[in-house]
Amino acid sequence: MRLLLVEDEKKVSDLVARALRAESFAVDVADDGAHGWELAQSYEYDLIILDLMLPRLSGEELLRRIRRSNQQVPILVLTARATTEDKVHNFEAGTDDYLTKPFAVAELIMRVKALLRRGPITRSSVLRVGDLEVDRFTKQVRRGGRRIELTAKEYALLEYLAANPGRVFSRTMIIEHVWDQSFEGLTNIVDVYVRHLRSKVDDPFPVKLIRTVRGVGYGLAESAER
Amino acid sequence: MNTASLNFRLVTWYAGVLTVVFVLLGAITFFSLRQYLEANVLDNQARRARQIADTLIARASRGSESALGAELESLYSPETNDRFIRITRADGTVVFASGAPHGGGFDPAQVPALAGTGARKIALGDSSLLLAAVPAVASDGSRYRVEVGTSARPLEETLRRLLMMLAVGLPVTVAVAVAGGFVLVRRALDPVARIAFKAEEISQHNLSERLPVVHSGDELERLSVSLNHMISRLQESIDGSKQFVADASHELRTPLTVMRGELESLAQDRGLTRETRETLGSVLEEVERLAEIVESLFALSRLDAGEASTEWRRFDLAELAATTAEQMSLLATDKNVNVACDSTAGVMVEGDPARLKQVIVNLLDNAIKYTPAGGRVRLSVQREPGYAVLEVTDDGIGIPAEALPHVFKRFFRVDGSRSREQGGAGLGLAIVKSICSAHGADIEVISTVGRGSTFRLRQPLAVGVSARS
Repeated sequence: MRLLLVEDEKKVSDLVARALRAESFAVDVADDGAHGWELAQSYEYDLIILDLMLPRLSGEELLRRIRRSNQQVPILVLTARATTEDKVHNFEAGTDDYLTKPFAVAELIMRVKALLRRGPITRSSVLRVGDLEVDRFTKQVRRGGRRIELTAKEYALLEYLAANPGRVFSRTMIIEHVWDQSFEGLTNIVDVYVRHLRSKVDDPFPVKLIRTVRGVGYGLAESAER
Repeated sequence: MNTASLNFRLVTWYAGVLTVVFVLLGAITFFSLRQYLEANVLDNQARRARQIADTLIARASRGSESALGAELESLYSPETNDRFIRITRADGTVVFASGAPHGGGFDPAQVPALAGTGARKIALGDSSLLLAAVPAVASDGSRYRVEVGTSARPLEETLRRLLMMLAVGLPVTVAVAVAGGFVLVRRALDPVARIAFKAEEISQHNLSERLPVVHSGDELERLSVSLNHMISRLQESIDGSKQFVADASHELRTPLTVMRGELESLAQDRGLTRETRETLGSVLEEVERLAEIVESLFALSRLDAGEASTEWRRFDLAELAATTAEQMSLLATDKNVNVACDSTAGVMVEGDPARLKQVIVNLLDNAIKYTPAGGRVRLSVQREPGYAVLEVTDDGIGIPAEALPHVFKRFFRVDGSRSREQGGAGLGLAIVKSICSAHGADIEVISTVGRGSTFRLRQPLAVGVSARS
């Protein structure tokens, strides 16, 4: 799949392009709005990632032009501005999703994948990581066939991690997805929940699934070191 | 009445000065008039006495003394005119003395036999006499003394009336002048009151407003114009610093994204040594904290700018408190702190529930953080007339009295090292304060070191709630 990334900060575009290519996407990079517009007209992209603050042609204007040329391509906007008004304004202008800097690259990859999956979604109701099974319909968790009782928040946390095995999520990302924005900055709550989750999901078993990467966050993987 | 007000002081001074001036003027008028009148009367008496001496006495002789009396009676009729006339020989023998005046102004018998000549006022019991004495020489060379006097009563009556006029007129005049002065001063100072009223309304949230300018061309116009210029400069400087915070937090985002992204991809490389991974993790933790500070600053600058909340609605504060406490209970359990929620149901308020939830989260987080294991935290939402009152009480370490006025200030920490270890940048309570201001709520803190703290939030109830509860 071919993606267009329009971002004037070279280091940001390098970082994002590298991460996307690691996920086997083809990425074209434009470093200003006008160049981005040229590329957007020349190819049929599967997704466009757009910074709002661009030289020569602003991100807003580029967004409007792409939408006016009737392209149905999904657009993910990157911005340093995060007021609710801005968000509403940009969704009205045709943004499909929104990421505020400083974002975690893992979050960006997830959003990109979510946008691209919007077409035919085939998602199994049961998530599997090793011998762990998370049933999204019944909200039941089993490991090695044994039923594990979790509280609602513990379940939400585990489901979020299990949906993306092998990926490490920052505590801020976990807060945003499992709790809500009011808990922003209260990252120690994640540590506490992960510890409780571990005591139920990992401690009774020889193979540990919950992985901690210091400074980055938590993830689920088939073979995790503590 | 405010005795320190400019109005009161001006009018008091004015009345005082006016009274002193009037009293002085009255006294001068009274005394100079009395002196003038007495001198005038005495002068008349002296002239009359000389007249008698020059005409009657000069023509008379020792032998015609009895005829002199009759002549004086017929010419001057002293009793009818309330006059006193006495002719005395040089040896002191009284040749003629007028009788008691019909008006009864004085008793002639009491008039002492005075030596010498001249004009003077003589006190006779309760009345007084204005008396002039002149020497006279008869045709035969014998010497006499002529005394002519008149009662001082009419003069005193005149002066008494003057005094009465002054006594009544002065207070009335002063009262009228003071009343007029009061009205004038109040009219002159009225713009000052309006300027003061408006100035009190202006805070950092409505700095675009200006004081009323009175186009009177006087000092007040200058004052209001100068004050408005001052507000403009304040506005520029505050806007500038707000813009700076917004711009700075904005500009910091891109480098933070790069730092975070690069470090994260490094940290997930399993080929690294444990030490390197630890170091990277430590740096990442700091990057994350930096990002949180930037986020908080940005949130504060948005609240400062009075950004309208899109989620403004009516909701139950007690319910919000209960669910938030429930969501945070594990955090407390983990520290072995007991969180009790004690609320009246259905305390409806208007606002942005997400932001008010952040207030509760921050307050509870603080309370749990600073309460030692085994301690208790109490969250309560109660209704007071017109207000919803939310309280978070802990029996933790408390806040020293000298730190209390500063706890809501940005980047303030009671004890730098300890708070830093607990995480956070000292912005949590500043955000709480800003959110409260945006909701028209007051927040205060009561604390005793070693015994715990209480944060108390008072927010107006949603209008029309009484009908529902």
